[in-house]
Amino acid sequence: MPIFFAKRLFQALIAIFGVMTLIFFLQRLAGDPVLLLVPMDASQADIDRMRIALGFDRPVVVQYLEYIGNLLLFDFGRSYVQNIPVAELIRTRLPYTLMLAGGALVVAFGIGIPIGITLAIRRGKPIARVLSGLVLAGQSMPTFWSAILMIMVFGVWLGWAPPSGARQISSIVMPSIALGLLSMATFARVARTAVLDELEKDYVRTGHAKGLPMRRIIFRHLLRNASIPVVTVSALEIANLLAGAVIVETVFAWPGLGQLTIQAITARDFMVVQGVVLLGAITAIGLNLIADLLYSLIDPRIRMGAGS
Amino acid sequence: MSAQPQPVTPAKSARSFDIPWTAMPFLLIVAVMVLLAVAAPLVAPVDPNTQNLLARLKAPGTVSRGVTYILGSDELGRDVLSRLIYGARISLFVAFSSVLLSGTLGSILGMVAAFYRGWVEIVIMRLVDIVLSVPAILFAIITVAVLGPGLVNVVIVLALTRWPRYARVAYGQTLSVANMPYVRLSHFMGASWIRLLGRHVLPNIAGSLAVVATLEFGLMVLFEAGLSFLGLGVQPPMASWGAMLSTGRNYVATAWWIATFPGLALFLLVLSINLIGDHVRDRLDPKAR
Amino acid sequence: MPGLRRITSVLLLAATLGSATFLGGTASAKDLFVVDLVNEPSSLDPQKQWNPDSYYVYRNVFDNLITRNDDGKIAPQIATSWDYKSPSEVVFKLRSDVKFHDGEKLTAEDVAFSVTRIIDPAFKSPQISQFNKIKSAAVTGENEVTITTDGPYPVLLAQLVKLSIVPKHAVEKAGDDAFNAAPVGSGPYKFDRWDRGSLVALARNADYWGDKGPFEKVEFRAVPDAATRLADLQAGNADLIVTLDSDQAKQLESSASAKVLSALTERIAYLKLNPTLPPLDNAKVRQAVAMAIDKQGIVEGLLGGFDKPASQMANDTYFGYVPDIKNVAFDPEAAKKIVEETGAGKTKLSFATSPVFDQRIVQALAQMLSDVGFTVEIQLTDMAAYLKRAQSEPAQQANLAFGRWSCACQDVDGVLFPLLHSSSSWSSLRDPKIDALLVQARNTLDDKERQQAYNGVAKFVADDVPMVPLYEAAVLYGGAKNLQWQPTANESMFLNRMSWND
Repeated sequence: MPIFFAKRLFQALIAIFGVMTLIFFLQRLAGDPVLLLVPMDASQADIDRMRIALGFDRPVVVQYLEYIGNLLLFDFGRSYVQNIPVAELIRTRLPYTLMLAGGALVVAFGIGIPIGITLAIRRGKPIARVLSGLVLAGQSMPTFWSAILMIMVFGVWLGWAPPSGARQISSIVMPSIALGLLSMATFARVARTAVLDELEKDYVRTGHAKGLPMRRIIFRHLLRNASIPVVTVSALEIANLLAGAVIVETVFAWPGLGQLTIQAITARDFMVVQGVVLLGAITAIGLNLIADLLYSLIDPRIRMGAGS
Repeated sequence: MSAQPQPVTPAKSARSFDIPWTAMPFLLIVAVMVLLAVAAPLVAPVDPNTQNLLARLKAPGTVSRGVTYILGSDELGRDVLSRLIYGARISLFVAFSSVLLSGTLGSILGMVAAFYRGWVEIVIMRLVDIVLSVPAILFAIITVAVLGPGLVNVVIVLALTRWPRYARVAYGQTLSVANMPYVRLSHFMGASWIRLLGRHVLPNIAGSLAVVATLEFGLMVLFEAGLSFLGLGVQPPMASWGAMLSTGRNYVATAWWIATFPGLALFLLVLSINLIGDHVRDRLDPKAR
Repeated sequence: MPGLRRITSVLLLAATLGSATFLGGTASAKDLFVVDLVNEPSSLDPQKQWNPDSYYVYRNVFDNLITRNDDGKIAPQIATSWDYKSPSEVVFKLRSDVKFHDGEKLTAEDVAFSVTRIIDPAFKSPQISQFNKIKSAAVTGENEVTITTDGPYPVLLAQLVKLSIVPKHAVEKAGDDAFNAAPVGSGPYKFDRWDRGSLVALARNADYWGDKGPFEKVEFRAVPDAATRLADLQAGNADLIVTLDSDQAKQLESSASAKVLSALTERIAYLKLNPTLPPLDNAKVRQAVAMAIDKQGIVEGLLGGFDKPASQMANDTYFGYVPDIKNVAFDPEAAKKIVEETGAGKTKLSFATSPVFDQRIVQALAQMLSDVGFTVEIQLTDMAAYLKRAQSEPAQQANLAFGRWSCACQDVDGVLFPLLHSSSSWSSLRDPKIDALLVQARNTLDDKERQQAYNGVAKFVADDVPMVPLYEAAVLYGGAKNLQWQPTANESMFLNRMSWND
């Protein structure tokens, strides 16, 4: 086991390094930020001067080596647009992303899990069909559409929550729902499968035969046992939630990393993109690694996750 | 959602792709949409790109210059119904071809990884990790910047970002199949790997891949819409449901019909496909994730 | 971790209140005024980034050497008067009663420092191209500064409108980065705080020497989605929102709580043709493009009448505007004939655009060109890719490109030189005669001689059609009903020129 772990950890580090390298070179194929930084009427000489000042006149390989060198010293570079260190920029945005991912998780988990359990227990009944239809409906709408509808209805017409921003606690409700709806079906499905698995086990049958009330079996024993796969999938889903908030954050003007990502990419703010992607890669690959290890602990045949 | 054969189902076969009657309406919806998309030039009342600046934002039913705007007109005076019908083409084409491309690529890589193990496995599966951790938007912007914008490039973006989903499933499933005695036996007997994968592995894992493909199809319809919202989708004036929806959402309060119809169409399509996928999955393995 | 601390305080606040309250919109006296911008400012140091979102904010924190009044005329601000000592030397007399927000007096030293700082190549200001004709600035008396330019420079004053005065002592003490994070100015509003990614808050400067601001606190928020900004305004979550299109503005006309505020700007929308590539290398075909475009139809049918058809790359407030210029008239039939005769419709014309431009206009233009027989393909890319292509070698540029240009200087030099002179990266024109006229006009202070040169260029644009001037663009804002404010042509947003009626 320790050897397996060390091997996977090493591979994960290589993968993260691969992401950074890939992004570094790919990004530069799409132009640089200089033209966006200078005023429209800047002369070619001014543009060239700016390009030299930012170091884009040097060979890309040199820039890459410098970047890797700095990275090893935990220097993530500076934003060309905002003129502040990337680490500082990410630090100010990260709490919002965590809050939103947390809110979405509460929605997805809080609604998805009970529905999933119901689906398993009431399997084949009309209620199960309706519920599974509802859960699937939640992820069948483009977020940029459902989000603006929510804003119009709850923000403008009913006035229950502010349409956008992050100024008060109620601001987080709508973005959390918009984002959480997407993961809800995944949670429902996992919970359903896990509960179905448990329902077939001997202890449930025995308990049932002994005349224990079903409700008691479910709440006392079954849910605890069914929670392991749910937790594992949650790990992967959290990575999705952290990465998947670009559109939700844009529509709700929520100042998290999703918005920063799209802004940095469109502004060709290379170092910020590198920083955000590095963080994302560590989260995604790290959580994946943990999930893999959990799987291998549960099931020695190492079932790879089917993902979502 | 039942694993029991439905007594009312007329179909006798108990094959895994047998669809229960509850899924029929959704299958019908998808079929109608595909039909409309194929027959768009015959069905659409007018050209979807003809503008009329004098008949902008007209409500459903308005008549102008001899054209009846059954579902209203959009911000450039184009017929929403005709655009909806032509838009089905684009949305379905993008989803279908990107699923086909990413599915093929991902399945092959996944099977190869599981079959060869060792270095091949490590390289492919870490590549999966790498692609999964790069924001899709980044790929989209780079593709547009390097290859230029357009319909084909949208498909390329989607294919490049989605193949890892299939690779993971193919990999996991192949691992278990490849260890089965008869597969090992034919391997010892000297069967080529292409034959092995095609003959023994693929038929065994096709079901799971089909489930992933179905769910991905719905997602691809949504992703195309998302790309349009971010200005990275199909090129104007081409109509796609995503593009119609992303401009139409600016008119929610004044011209509801521009966004509502493509939004509804998109919702119905994705929901139908998700429900069908759910049924298929249930049928294949009642407990599969 | 200020971020975390802020969140904890938000949580505490919510816990104490029990439920959320609207902070904006409902207070009886207008204590908090909320502006929805598109993006957050990229910089609050006025000598660094110069983009609309930064400019809207920091122009309220800083005073400039000179400014423009609501009519667009150059007016005193920190400088009270100025004289040309020689064609390349201007002497500015300064106010003596101005104090920075930290209480220090604003002196001639600060003015000279501000100029020297922005023209220093080591400072790497992106705005340097607007000031690089300035050679030096020196204190030449009490409350007097002399600016020396590299030869006669007719647009110096127009450029100095964009020069904000920063406090020498604060910049030198804090350093550039810290100053950018917490700027100190002398304007009607003081910097309060900057929640990265979310908002910049300003507070009223009660000791301001000029017109004081009407609101105690102001927040500039970043709201990238136009539909969300509109919702914010309608819900009272914002009091002023920027960057609406005419259809979004129409939605506000029926609103009980909000209204449209608009002004014609210095911005001219144009369709640029690439005369180096066939079939647009033929002047006749270019004229056919001009004939195919119904400017009136676009302005009235699509833009809701806020904008005004343009006859040239300037409006009548510009220096160098040519009255009564004759354009190629709208005549689709004649255009059709030319396209047919020349076979121009056989070549696919690429039409470059970016999401920041109004896609309705781009699609309408493409349709008008298709109607007369051209084959047009719209190529929508993000702004960086659009700029890269627009500024590459002429042969790599698109056949057609839509753009909106403003030099914010009300002088045609700022528009015609970058778009037409062969040395400019934007230009796909290579015409020595036009180059000569543009250079001649740029290097003299003689208004008559300059006007004559620009007459020639304007006539060339009208007849030879290297670009089709489309319309003088309006800027549209959405404002709360109670807000009194007249937007200006130079697209600035001065809070102390607003008022609030309860």
